[in-house]
Amino acid sequence: MTSIGTGYDLSNSVFSPDGRNFQVEYAVKAVENGGTAIGIRCKDGVVLAVEKIVTSKLLKAGANKRIASVDRHVGIVSAGLVPDGRHFVSRARDEASSWRSTYKGPIPTSALANRLGGYVQAYTLYSSVRPFGITAIVGGWDSEAELPVDGQVGTGPKSGSGGKVEGAKAGGPGLYMIEPSGLYWGYYGAATGKGRQTAKAELEKLDLSAGNLSLVDGVKEAARIIYVAHEDSKDKDFELEMTWISSVDGPTKGRHEEVPKELFDEAEKAAKQSMVGDDEEEEEKTQGEQMEE
Amino acid sequence: MTSLMGNQSRGETIGYSFSEPTSANVKQHSFYPYTDNGGSTLGITGSDFAILAGDTRSTSGYNINSRMVPKVFRIGGDDETGEGAQVLLSVVGFAADGNALKEKLDTMVKMYKYKHGKPMSVSACAQRLSTILYEKRFFPYYVHAILAGLDEEGVGALYSYDPVGSYEREQCRAAGAASSLIMPFLDNQVNFKNQYIPGSGAGHALEAVKAEPLPKDTVKQLVRDAFTSAVERHIEVGDGLQMMIITKEGIEEVFIPLKQD
Amino acid sequence: MNHFPEAWGRPRNDVYGAYDHSYLQTTGPKAHTSSPAVTGTSVVGVKFNGGVAIATDNLASYGSLARFSDVKRLRTFGDKAIVGFGGDVSDMQYLDRLLASMDINENYSPRGNMLNAKNLHTYLAKVFYKRRSEFNPLWNHVLVAGFDGEGEPFLSSADLLGTTFSAPHLATGFGAHLAVPILRRKFPEGMPLEEISQEDAVQALKDCLKVLFYRDARSIDKYSIAVVTKDGIDLKEDEQIQGQSWAFAERIKGYGAQTV
Repeated sequence: MTSIGTGYDLSNSVFSPDGRNFQVEYAVKAVENGGTAIGIRCKDGVVLAVEKIVTSKLLKAGANKRIASVDRHVGIVSAGLVPDGRHFVSRARDEASSWRSTYKGPIPTSALANRLGGYVQAYTLYSSVRPFGITAIVGGWDSEAELPVDGQVGTGPKSGSGGKVEGAKAGGPGLYMIEPSGLYWGYYGAATGKGRQTAKAELEKLDLSAGNLSLVDGVKEAARIIYVAHEDSKDKDFELEMTWISSVDGPTKGRHEEVPKELFDEAEKAAKQSMVGDDEEEEEKTQGEQMEE
Repeated sequence: MTSLMGNQSRGETIGYSFSEPTSANVKQHSFYPYTDNGGSTLGITGSDFAILAGDTRSTSGYNINSRMVPKVFRIGGDDETGEGAQVLLSVVGFAADGNALKEKLDTMVKMYKYKHGKPMSVSACAQRLSTILYEKRFFPYYVHAILAGLDEEGVGALYSYDPVGSYEREQCRAAGAASSLIMPFLDNQVNFKNQYIPGSGAGHALEAVKAEPLPKDTVKQLVRDAFTSAVERHIEVGDGLQMMIITKEGIEEVFIPLKQD
Repeated sequence: MNHFPEAWGRPRNDVYGAYDHSYLQTTGPKAHTSSPAVTGTSVVGVKFNGGVAIATDNLASYGSLARFSDVKRLRTFGDKAIVGFGGDVSDMQYLDRLLASMDINENYSPRGNMLNAKNLHTYLAKVFYKRRSEFNPLWNHVLVAGFDGEGEPFLSSADLLGTTFSAPHLATGFGAHLAVPILRRKFPEGMPLEEISQEDAVQALKDCLKVLFYRDARSIDKYSIAVVTKDGIDLKEDEQIQGQSWAFAERIKGYGAQTV
């Protein structure tokens, strides 16, 4: 960073001569220190998972959730500054609610990501604010069924004019990742936080673009990937938190919910087991690394 | 050219299927924000107790909405059961207003206790209720309220109100649908109106029986008699009798069946 | 030429006269709903051993016109409670959206929507009372069915004035006249809830709807019925009144053209 110390990093919204916004880059640094968060877009749903670093033994296990619901069909997980994440979720809920009051229906995941991207970007434009210290993963399922308008009371004509278009396809899974700059892309698999590199490597192995991974397998992969990525910060205790959103005819009926305990335990157990296997193979190597520290 | 409609004078007929325009420019509200839910309440005090009672019928016109809608409430209790309350309130008239009034007074009395660390006296509560009612002088709570408790000396205290907050402390009061049936009975049986000591004189020299506080059991029976009689003569009164008796020991609540016809 | 932008593109005052604002109401009271427009008729409900059953027909009338015949007037609140709406349909839709947004907000908590039918009824009654106090009523009479905080079956009523009452069986509108006496005869108020089976309760509601269809000119023989138990809500929305017999109509004399 050649421009460090030249003063271009002191105020938000100010470009350095080589076209960088240092405040945004520092925000990215804050994200890189956060617990790993991932999202997987499966063929019949979306999984969100986060490595929640336990900062104190006095914290109640399972409390202080890090993945939040927005409307009924969207979940948001973020890595970085937790309070920034909370504000981001609050904004997302307001957007979803305002969308509902305008359009009388759920906000599409893509539209939500777009609005949130715009919101985050605005925090790079003014000297009176600082950028968001989070990278957020937004996962949702847009109903593939024909949704009634909110408050709708009838079914409309069954035939003739005003009848339904047969076989029209709509909806499906959505997964977006929004960075401190406001940049966002849609992903098959998204990872952020400390263990993102490891997680991304694992996600790439899944060949998600082929669209073969089922939601239940996705949950198991998500658990495993969080455990693998935790190797980067092995000295810290962590809790795994996972949520999912299935298709309308799937297990969550299109809603964003916590992964049920049974499946969660199974996935976590399998993840731990895979780690034991890895440990044995890499035992000697690990010892060598520890010596260096 | 100006429009045809504009040239037409108000009184002229526009067409067969068009109704005559009315002379009033302002549309009147046809929404009436009150209803009468019937029922009757009654309060009587003694030297160390006060009783508030009401029937439990709720009506709309000739319909009985429910046979179990209490009209007497504990005010300023510690929880939703009303445990720890030291004041009673009965409301009769428009039930939704009655409920709103009850909730408001309950909140006020609770806030008083939180702020001052002691329960509100019955006389203070009585004045507060008057203020609450008068605040809505131009859109009143359409209810007749009766407040009961024990005063600083431990004597039964009873306050009765009109819908806009005019109030006075009384020995006994009946309110609601059957008040005109019950009140004269109370005048006679509680305040001994029109009762004279036999042989105490002739004509104006007749000596009136002196009213004195009645014992609790006598008053309880008077309340039951008042309601069983009112039920016979008033269609909006019946189903059940709710009685709350406040003494220094606390509040006792009893339900007694009334005729359901 | 008038150079003020607000004058551009409108007829010239000197040729056509000043703009006539008279159609815009500037004085007088603010207009609110003073009568309902599209309405639903009765709602009937009854408590039974372990739950509550509630039913409405599927008609929305425009005055005496049977305007919409597939209107679902039983609305769910989460998986915990049912609201049966009588009265104005657009106000029902407003309340349905209000309750949906509340359900969404409640679900943001990790414990989910903890509001039971009793809480919902209290809330709805306060909404009604607030709006009537603003002289802008929501023109409905609703029944709320579900469970209270103690897990007991709950059935209660709230109307456009904010009046509330609860009873083992309730009916709004025409049903208050026709259905309540039937229900009171079948299940007297003193009867313990344990003695009323779900089947009896549902059958009673169907009988009530049939009588209402016979006698209420603003009703239809298509109906919705819901049963709320500990297992959740069982809502059926496209039912048809069975076993109609109009034989009694032959014996009615003295109305219309027939006078003998």
